[in-house]
Amino acid sequence: MFRSMLGKALGLVGYTIQYGCIAHCAFEYIGEFVVCSGPSMEPTIVNHDVVFSERMSRHLFKIQKGDIVIAKSPFDPNMNICKRVIGLEGDKICTSAQSDLFKTHTFVPMGHVWLEGDNLRNSTDSRNYGPIPYGLIRGRVCLKVTCNLLSTRLDDSTPLEALLRHLMK
Amino acid sequence: MFRSMLGKALGLVGYTIQYGCIAHCAFEYIGEFVVCSGPSMEPTIVNHDVVFSERMSRHLFKIQKGDIVIAKSPFDPNMNICKRVIGLEGDKICTSAQSDLFKTHTFVPMGHVWLEGDNLRNSTDSRNYGPIPYGLIRGRVCLKVRQPSVHPIGRQHSTGGPATTSDEITGFLMRSNASLKAV
Repeated sequence: MFRSMLGKALGLVGYTIQYGCIAHCAFEYIGEFVVCSGPSMEPTIVNHDVVFSERMSRHLFKIQKGDIVIAKSPFDPNMNICKRVIGLEGDKICTSAQSDLFKTHTFVPMGHVWLEGDNLRNSTDSRNYGPIPYGLIRGRVCLKVTCNLLSTRLDDSTPLEALLRHLMK
Repeated sequence: MFRSMLGKALGLVGYTIQYGCIAHCAFEYIGEFVVCSGPSMEPTIVNHDVVFSERMSRHLFKIQKGDIVIAKSPFDPNMNICKRVIGLEGDKICTSAQSDLFKTHTFVPMGHVWLEGDNLRNSTDSRNYGPIPYGLIRGRVCLKVRQPSVHPIGRQHSTGGPATTSDEITGFLMRSNASLKAV
């Protein structure tokens, strides 16, 4: 009685570990959904947007200038940051503001990337902490999940009225 | 005929993917064997030494000062480096050489670690490229695998003639234990 229950419990644990490993490898090598927060990538990605970040580009070293990437924060390994790649290794980056008289430049070192948010006025990025090593990049954002039905609720009408209004358009 | 072969091939692929994922997760969350090269960690770890680096400390953020870690190189994401942690975030690091008159210091920023090799004269480390982000650390070296010695053992014989085959085999068996020496 006890042995059969123990056998079933161990079998369940075995299946859980097995499919957990497969799911983990899928997230690690294919992609994952990420909920973004913060205003640093507006208007491209706004607060609470859900994006899909694929992992293959990063493993194959195919991240290019202009890509939006998810990377580990250089100052907090628990947090992730979502910024746009402005420069790759060896590129020349203009670090002075547009209003400055004298332009300053910097070169991105080997194995590093220069990240900036799209919302330049409200973004902490490489202009503050310098280029980050390529090894911190986790994935490249390729899709944004939008739900048009929910976005039609502009007033305090019920979801059914909003649905009917949407269908009548 | 063709369908059964296709079914068997798909089954084989399925099993391969399944066990490949399990093996990958074992390497990712438990540990892996690493072959070290280069002189920067002598005499602790010499060229061609095999070490075992465990991953749990890094995932649980339990890397401490004095640990030897394997990390991704900040200048080449394909390469790994093996150094000792000299300072954690917030620590004060002395950056001047011992022979300098005026001492210079630096503070390790948040989320970074200061790495140095044990062989200070022949090591490229944080003294050259600064502190590296904690996110680049892969694992902590906890064991070093000592190779069995396979060269001929000193011949022990009482008569003065050449040693017999049984003497060499005994000597070999006494020495050929691959012992795991704690680092």
